[in-house]
Amino acid sequence: MGNKDGYRDLFPGALELMILQTLYRKPMHGYALAQHIKAVSDELLQIEEGSLYPALQRMLKAGWLESEMGVSARNRPVRIYKVTAAGGKRLEAEISSFEKMFAGITRVLGTA
Amino acid sequence: MQEHLSERVEELVAEGMTRRDAEFRARREFGNVTRIEEQSREVWQWPRLESMWADAKFAMRQLQKTPGFTVTAIVTLALGIAVNATMFSMVSAFLMPQLPGHLPEQMVVLSSIDPNGHFLPDANLVSPANYLTWGRETRTFAAMAAEDPYRRGSLAGDGEARAESVQYAAVSVNYFAVFGAVPQWGRSFEDGEDVAGRDHVAILSHGLWERRFHGDRAVIGKTVRLNRADYTVVGVMGADFRLLGFTEQLWTPLSLSAADGSPGARGNRSLVLFARLQAGVTLAQVRAEMHRLADQAAQDYPETEKGWGAAARMLPDYLVYSFGIRNALTVMMTIVGFVLLIACGNVAGLLLTRAVGRQKELAIRLSLGASRARLVRQLLTEGLVLALMGGGVGLLLSAAGVRFLQANLNFNAAISAVPVRLDRNVLLFALGISLLSALLSSLAPALKASRTDMNGDLKGEGRSTTGGCSQSRLRSVLVGGEIALAMALLVGSCLLIRGIYLLEHQKLGFERDHLLTAGVVLDPARYGDAGKQIEFERGILGKLEAIPGVDSAAIASYLPASGADRSPIQIRGEVERAASERQTALDVVVSTNYLRVAGIGLVRGRGFTSADKAGTPSVVLVNQEFVRRFFRGGDAVGRRVRVDIGDGPPMWSEIIGVVSDVKTFSEGPDVDPEVYQAFLQRPVMSFSLMLRSSVDVGTLTPALRQAVGQMDGDLPLLRVMSMEEVIESQRYGNPLFEQLLGTFALLALTLAAIGIYGLIAYSVGQRTQEIGIRLALGAKGSDIARMILRQGLQVAAIGAGVGLVLAVPLPRLFDAMFVGIRFGSVAIYPTVAAAMLMVVVFATWVPARRAARVDPTTALRSE
Repeated sequence: MGNKDGYRDLFPGALELMILQTLYRKPMHGYALAQHIKAVSDELLQIEEGSLYPALQRMLKAGWLESEMGVSARNRPVRIYKVTAAGGKRLEAEISSFEKMFAGITRVLGTA
Repeated sequence: MQEHLSERVEELVAEGMTRRDAEFRARREFGNVTRIEEQSREVWQWPRLESMWADAKFAMRQLQKTPGFTVTAIVTLALGIAVNATMFSMVSAFLMPQLPGHLPEQMVVLSSIDPNGHFLPDANLVSPANYLTWGRETRTFAAMAAEDPYRRGSLAGDGEARAESVQYAAVSVNYFAVFGAVPQWGRSFEDGEDVAGRDHVAILSHGLWERRFHGDRAVIGKTVRLNRADYTVVGVMGADFRLLGFTEQLWTPLSLSAADGSPGARGNRSLVLFARLQAGVTLAQVRAEMHRLADQAAQDYPETEKGWGAAARMLPDYLVYSFGIRNALTVMMTIVGFVLLIACGNVAGLLLTRAVGRQKELAIRLSLGASRARLVRQLLTEGLVLALMGGGVGLLLSAAGVRFLQANLNFNAAISAVPVRLDRNVLLFALGISLLSALLSSLAPALKASRTDMNGDLKGEGRSTTGGCSQSRLRSVLVGGEIALAMALLVGSCLLIRGIYLLEHQKLGFERDHLLTAGVVLDPARYGDAGKQIEFERGILGKLEAIPGVDSAAIASYLPASGADRSPIQIRGEVERAASERQTALDVVVSTNYLRVAGIGLVRGRGFTSADKAGTPSVVLVNQEFVRRFFRGGDAVGRRVRVDIGDGPPMWSEIIGVVSDVKTFSEGPDVDPEVYQAFLQRPVMSFSLMLRSSVDVGTLTPALRQAVGQMDGDLPLLRVMSMEEVIESQRYGNPLFEQLLGTFALLALTLAAIGIYGLIAYSVGQRTQEIGIRLALGAKGSDIARMILRQGLQVAAIGAGVGLVLAVPLPRLFDAMFVGIRFGSVAIYPTVAAAMLMVVVFATWVPARRAARVDPTTALRSE
């Protein structure tokens, strides 16, 4: 279920991984998160910004993130998302499995 | 998210875009706000359940809009579910019986395996000697108890209640303890109460206590007179202590003496053994041990034990098995299962039709973004709502059905002791089949309907074509399937009904009309002496024949066609065989007038006369089957035969006559070899009185009672009924079986006919435009009619073919299931096929004729 329309080229879990990593460094609200990911990836990843939000909700439900009210750059109330301890563990696990997968693909492709 | 968009817009504006462009760009990059909102919210909800509830409400609204369809569908499903639930109440009562006591699933029943047995050969009773031995030597049981369940006794009248004959059981004193059952009032038997002198205590069953003692608790400690001896009542069992098939009204202790353990008494198999498994022991281990013990017994006592084995069954299994109703119930459940399938087919057809009408609505929903799965779910929910409502109505109907069953399940004591009602099992079953019907009837239409061609449906073109090739194929499958099911069901029912009918109307070999019977059990206290028994016989027969309206009277140890003792016989001149391998014959003791009273013909020689009495040479009569079996058709008169009845010295008797055959049981086709002995030469204590009369036998009952009362006021009469009623009571439910079969078959045929008619009529209606075109192109009305008829018959032929193929193995199957009845009649298959053909022709012809009369212009213009 759920069409991740903007993410046809990404593997499942990529979005969660990127969100966790970004928020781990610095808690922020939705818009800032979207801009950050776009900026840091040098516009290589085309994401549909909106799909962040259901993902954030899922991760809230799973207990990897927690949210609190804060203020946006325009002084409007927004939800600020922060990584929990469980989320941190999840991040480590995901990074290690991502690296394993990447190494595997690299080997298959025959590049060093 | 709003904030997100606003920030983005501000950013873009700051970069130099116009506000409007910025807003467009921001929104495009973001995605579909509404949908994302929904998705985000869904993370926290239970979307499935909520949307299912919404679907259900929507479905109910839709169903209300089309009351005709809704009522038809609900009634159809209700009928199918009702018959299933009703029959399942019997399954629940007889195949899933409630068991008494503590952890009854760990109880095992031990029985003997009779090497020559017919009916349930491995559920034979066990001899006391084996009980004692096995009780000592088994290691797999924590405890073992024994029951002699088939004792008959007379309870003397005590002012309030009349003398009555009761079935009771003698049990080992640990019997109730082994079950883990405690009496409701009073106490159970104690150790030592099985010793003579202390064993005149009794425990009443709940039913007897309520019926005869009016539920009076003061009965504990009182004395009752059973078989002319005083017994003290020490306890009353609760109403829940009931074992399927056992109908004892009270229990007394089982006293076994040394004589019961002697080798001579080994042939006296009278006990059922109940044992509790030790922890961790499996049934396989028990069976192995019993096998070993039986082999040991056969080695030690080959005379009586050779070939006999020992069987062990878990308690629930044994009770169901020995009741013997499993096969009949299996057949019934299969039949009502078919009825349900046909009903589901009808409803599926209705849903298909209805879905075609909703194609536009579904197309719109698809175009608005509903996924196909979502549509299917909504259609399935509609089917579910229908089925649940049908199930509710069906349960109401089945309440009436169960009441009907209760009223008619009274043909013998064992059956009427079992309560049949709408218990929890039945309710769960009804729910289950409602869900199943929902699935069966709405899955295919839902899948079809959701696969619509959006464009065409939106433009309204869909309905003017034939509704899609796949839809008409599904319709054909439904029609063919219903025909196949109906055919198989009809053939099966007809075979069964015919088999039962033939069984009931077969010639029994004697004249059953105008014959009054009553059972008498002389008790040993007063009639222990052979002389007293003969004196009774003389006296009672004299009194009976004096009754006005009575032609003649006789007594017989067993009534004709009601089963009899089987005794080993030995023909003089033939090789003596070991006891366990002897030939056997039915053994009946009759008075002088028997042949005349029963209306049995004498074929050779002479019958008994009053000269054949004690002291004169022993004589017997045999039947034709006896001659066929043992003399291979040669002359039997004058030959000598010995009937070994266990007690007393063996005596050679001369065959003085041959009588015509009488069926062993009215319910079976068997005629066994039979030997008739003269009462005056071998009196017995338990027999039936038979009166042949020229008047209606019901009027003779008071005179009969009076005559017996004059002979002995304390002697109760058992089962005073006409011979026809006796035969009726042996029927073991066949009339009920027939009634049920007939009802279900008729129901199936009606449902199938309606369903087929509806489906074909609708499909013809769908093709109005096509027909119009054909007519306009020059076809004649009769051509159209013939085309439609032909197409309908094609489907019907395939369906009927499948149905017949399904029905081919039925006769053999029924033969195996219901031993003793011959099924199979080649005439049934073509008859049923012809009947189905007529139904289909009618169902096709009427719409075909209507189609043929269509006016081409209207047809072409219709949408």
